[in-house]
Amino acid sequence: MESIVKKRIQQVRKGDQDAFGEIVELFKDRVYHVCFRMLGNRHEAEDIAQEAFIRAYTNIHTFDIDRKFSTWLFRIATNLCIDRIRKKKPDYYLDAEVSGTDGLTMYSQVETDDPLPEEEVESMELQESIQKEISRLPDKYRSVIVLKYIEELSLKEISEILELPIGTVKTRIHRGREALRKQLRSI
Amino acid sequence: MMHDYLDEEISQEHEKELKTHLQSCEACKTHFHELKKTVALVQSTSHIQAPDNFTQNVMAKLPKEKKKAGMNR
Repeated sequence: MESIVKKRIQQVRKGDQDAFGEIVELFKDRVYHVCFRMLGNRHEAEDIAQEAFIRAYTNIHTFDIDRKFSTWLFRIATNLCIDRIRKKKPDYYLDAEVSGTDGLTMYSQVETDDPLPEEEVESMELQESIQKEISRLPDKYRSVIVLKYIEELSLKEISEILELPIGTVKTRIHRGREALRKQLRSI
Repeated sequence: MMHDYLDEEISQEHEKELKTHLQSCEACKTHFHELKKTVALVQSTSHIQAPDNFTQNVMAKLPKEKKKAGMNR
């Protein structure tokens, strides 16, 4: 996979824009998913994930071809997410429920009038509550928790993405886990 | 030590110590259980996919190729 990516990047650098489309195809789900868990909202996630790819394209010449492309791409995406979170007004959290619900409209895309089976409703509600609690975490904890538990990345990779020492990543994971524990206790 | 355990970085010796302690300390047992539940809940979130037309939308927004770079934006 890495060698295909490298080949495509070289093609993009030579001016082949279509080769970039293949890169987007390869990484779009992971980048979108991380953005969605960071932002808790579908529309914002789409917006930021698109922006991440556009920035990757316009800065492709700064990417060090000997490194892992996904690390670089996730760095762009998480930085954009963190900027977006910080730009939100503090009263954003009052809207968390609304944006949380909004984020889950993907379920309503399966348009049907049939009542959903009970366990499905339950799990949708559960998913919604978990996302809501993730969205309540301060951004510095949210990013490490999402990268570790949603994207299942190693501490080393997370430290490269966030440009933080491994020790700091670890501490943030511990604190994020403790914060989430308190928030999720009643579930 | 609980966090070392969850990070999978605990030594055998400490793991033994932790387990022995958890058997006798109700508060820590609850705490540990809640932490493990937290991780399980976060990991249970479903993997969602990028919306349809995501790639086309990105491609449509890319700046035009370099020859025309001067005319962009």
